[in-house]
Amino acid sequence: MSEVKKNENTTAPKVDTRKMEINKFSLLFNKMGIWIIVIALMILGMIVSKGQFFTSSNIQSILEAVALTGMVCSGLFYVTYSGNMTDMSVPITMAFGGVMAIQCINFGFIGAILAGVLTGVVIGLINGFMIGKMRANAIIWTLALNLLLSGVIRVVWQGKMLYAEKIADEAHQNSANLFYSISRTYIGGIISLMAIVMLVMFVISWLILTQTGFGQKLKIIGTNYEVARFSGIDCTKQIITAYVINGVCSSIAGIFYAALRKCASYENGTGYDFDALTAILLGGVALTGGKGSMVGTFGGVLAYGLLNNCLSWIGLGTYTKYLVQGIVFLFIVWMNTYSNRKLGKA
Amino acid sequence: MNKKKLNINAALINKNRSYLFLILILICGLFVKNFYTPYNIQAVTGNGSLVIWLGLGFTIVLIAGHMDMTVMYLSTFSALVCLGMHANQKLPWMVCIIIGALIGILSGIIMGILVTKFKIHAFIASIGMQLVLKGVAYLYSNGAEISIGKDYTWNEALNGKLIPFIPLSTYFIITTIFIFIIMIVLRYTRLGRNIHMVGGNAETAWLAGIKSDFVVIMAFVISGLAAGLGGALNGIYSGAASVTMGEKGISPFYMAFTACVIGGTDIYGGKGSVIWTYVSLVAIAFLKSICKSTELQVLVIGAALVLCLVYETVAKYNRDKVVGRRPNLMLEYKKEAGIEK
Repeated sequence: MSEVKKNENTTAPKVDTRKMEINKFSLLFNKMGIWIIVIALMILGMIVSKGQFFTSSNIQSILEAVALTGMVCSGLFYVTYSGNMTDMSVPITMAFGGVMAIQCINFGFIGAILAGVLTGVVIGLINGFMIGKMRANAIIWTLALNLLLSGVIRVVWQGKMLYAEKIADEAHQNSANLFYSISRTYIGGIISLMAIVMLVMFVISWLILTQTGFGQKLKIIGTNYEVARFSGIDCTKQIITAYVINGVCSSIAGIFYAALRKCASYENGTGYDFDALTAILLGGVALTGGKGSMVGTFGGVLAYGLLNNCLSWIGLGTYTKYLVQGIVFLFIVWMNTYSNRKLGKA
Repeated sequence: MNKKKLNINAALINKNRSYLFLILILICGLFVKNFYTPYNIQAVTGNGSLVIWLGLGFTIVLIAGHMDMTVMYLSTFSALVCLGMHANQKLPWMVCIIIGALIGILSGIIMGILVTKFKIHAFIASIGMQLVLKGVAYLYSNGAEISIGKDYTWNEALNGKLIPFIPLSTYFIITTIFIFIIMIVLRYTRLGRNIHMVGGNAETAWLAGIKSDFVVIMAFVISGLAAGLGGALNGIYSGAASVTMGEKGISPFYMAFTACVIGGTDIYGGKGSVIWTYVSLVAIAFLKSICKSTELQVLVIGAALVLCLVYETVAKYNRDKVVGRRPNLMLEYKKEAGIEK
C-alpha cells in the first residue's frame, strides 16, 4: 500500500521532455538546399566575373566541364541510393570503356560504342554479383577491383596510349574520325553534344527512379536492407541492376572522355570517383542510402561545376583548388549528416 | 594429454597466410638472378619501408573499425616539410623529423574529431582530408621537388648498415623496432585492447564503459604518427621528396591496403595484427624485386588482393547462411540417431 501511495504522491505531470520540433534550417536544407546554393553561386559568379558569367562561351564551358561528371552521377546515384556508399571502380570503368571502344574501332563506330558500353555492363555485373549476392564490403571490393582491372589494362596493352587512327585500318578511318568528333560536336553552335547526352541520361534515370518498381524497391533496400529482404523484395536482383546501370553510365562517360582526350589509357578517369561523389552528396543524397532525388543530384552536379568555375574566375590556381574542394567537400558531408541527424533520419 | 596437436587444415593455413605468402615469394626468388645478394636485400627492404609505415597506420585504423585513406598524402606532405625545414630554415635533422611527426599527429587528431564528433563516415572524411593534404602539399612545394641539399650525414646513416654482416639498412631496422613497439601496445596495453574492442563492436564497447571516442581518436593519432614519421624518414632516406611520390606506378596506399587484407586483418574491424601486415609488406617488397615491370606488379598485387577478398567474402557468405540454424544441434541429432558417424 505504502508503495502505491508513494507513487501517487511523486507522479510528475506527463510532459514529454524529448525535443519534438524539427530544426527549421535542417528542413530547409534538406528540401531545397542545393538550388539555394546554385543560385548563390550564380550570383557570386556574376559578381566575381564582372558580368561575364552569362555569356554563351562561359555557359558552354561550364556545361562541358560538368557533362562527364554528370554522366557518372546519373548512374552512381543508384549505388549511393541503395546504401552502398560509393563505387571506387568508376575510374577504371571509364578507362576500360574508352580502351575497349578504341580497340574495337574496326567494327565501325556503332560497334565501338557498343563494345565500350558492354564493358561497363560486365564490370557492373561483377560488382553486382559480389556486393549484391555475396554481400562483400562495397568500398573495399570496388577498390580491389579498381586495382586488379588497372593491372589487367596495363599488362594487356603494356601501359601504352591507344590512338583510334592508328588502330583503325584504311577502311575505318572515317569511323575513327567520327569517334573523335562526338566530344566536339555543338548542336546549334552553342550546346555541346556531351551536355545533351548528360541531360538525356538524367531524364532516363529520373524516369527509372520515379516511374518503375525498381526505383521504389531500391529506396526500401537503401533505407533498411533487412526489412526489404523480409518484405519479399529480391534484393540481389535490384542491387545488381543498380550496379549495371552505374557501369553503363560510367562507361559512356569513359567513351566521351577518350574521344575528348583523343587517346585511351589506364589513367583515364582518375579523380572522377571523387568528383561524382561530391556532386551527389551536394545534391542531398544520404550516404546511408534511401534518401535523395534525381533533381537534387542534377542540382549538385551544376553546383559543383559552378563552384569550379567561380574558383577559376577568382583566379585560384590548381593547387589552391584542391584545398578549397577538400574543405567544401568536408563541409558538405558534415552538413549532410548533421541535417539528417537533426531530422532523425540517420 | 594436453599436448597440442598440429592440425593442418584450412583454418591454420588461412591464419598464417601472410607467412605463406612470404615463403612463396622467397621460393620464387630462387629462380631470379641476383636475388639473394646482400645488396639486393638491403635495397629492397629499405625501399619498401615507407609502405610498412603506411600499412601500420592503415592496419590500426582498420582494427578500430574505420578506414584511413589519408596516409599516402600525409607521408608525402610530412617528407616535404621535413626536407623543406632543413633546406630553408636550417633546422637540425632531429627537429625536422619531430616536426614531420607532429604534422602526422595533428592530421590524426583532425581525422579523429571528424569521425567521432562530427560523425562523418571515416572513408568519406579521409577522402576529403586527402584532398586538403594534397592541396597543402602542393602549396608548400609549388609542385616542385625538394631535395636533401648537401648534408648527407643522416642520409648515409639511414642507408648504411646498423649491424655489420647483416644486410639490413638502418631505416628498415628503425621501422621494425617501431612495428614491434606498436605490436606490444596493441597486444598488452589497455589502449590496444580497447582498440580491438571498439573495432569489434563499438556500441558494446561503449556500453562496457570504454571511452570509444577517445580510443578511435588515438587510433587515428597512431596512424598519423606512423605516416608522418615514416614519411619524414623516407624523405631523408631517398634524398628527395615531391608531391607525385605516390602517383608514379603503383600507389603505396594500394600496397598498404593489399597487405592488410592479405595479412588477415578483418575489414569489418576488431581482428588483425600489425605483424601480419608487416610480413605481407616485406613479401610485397621482395615481389617488386622479382617482377621488374610495373605492369606485372600491379596485376599480381591486384590478383592477390582480389583472391583474398573473394575467399573472405565466400567464407562470410557461408557463415551467414547457417546463422540461426544450429548446425551443432543437427550434428548431435545425427549422432544420436545414428544417421552418420
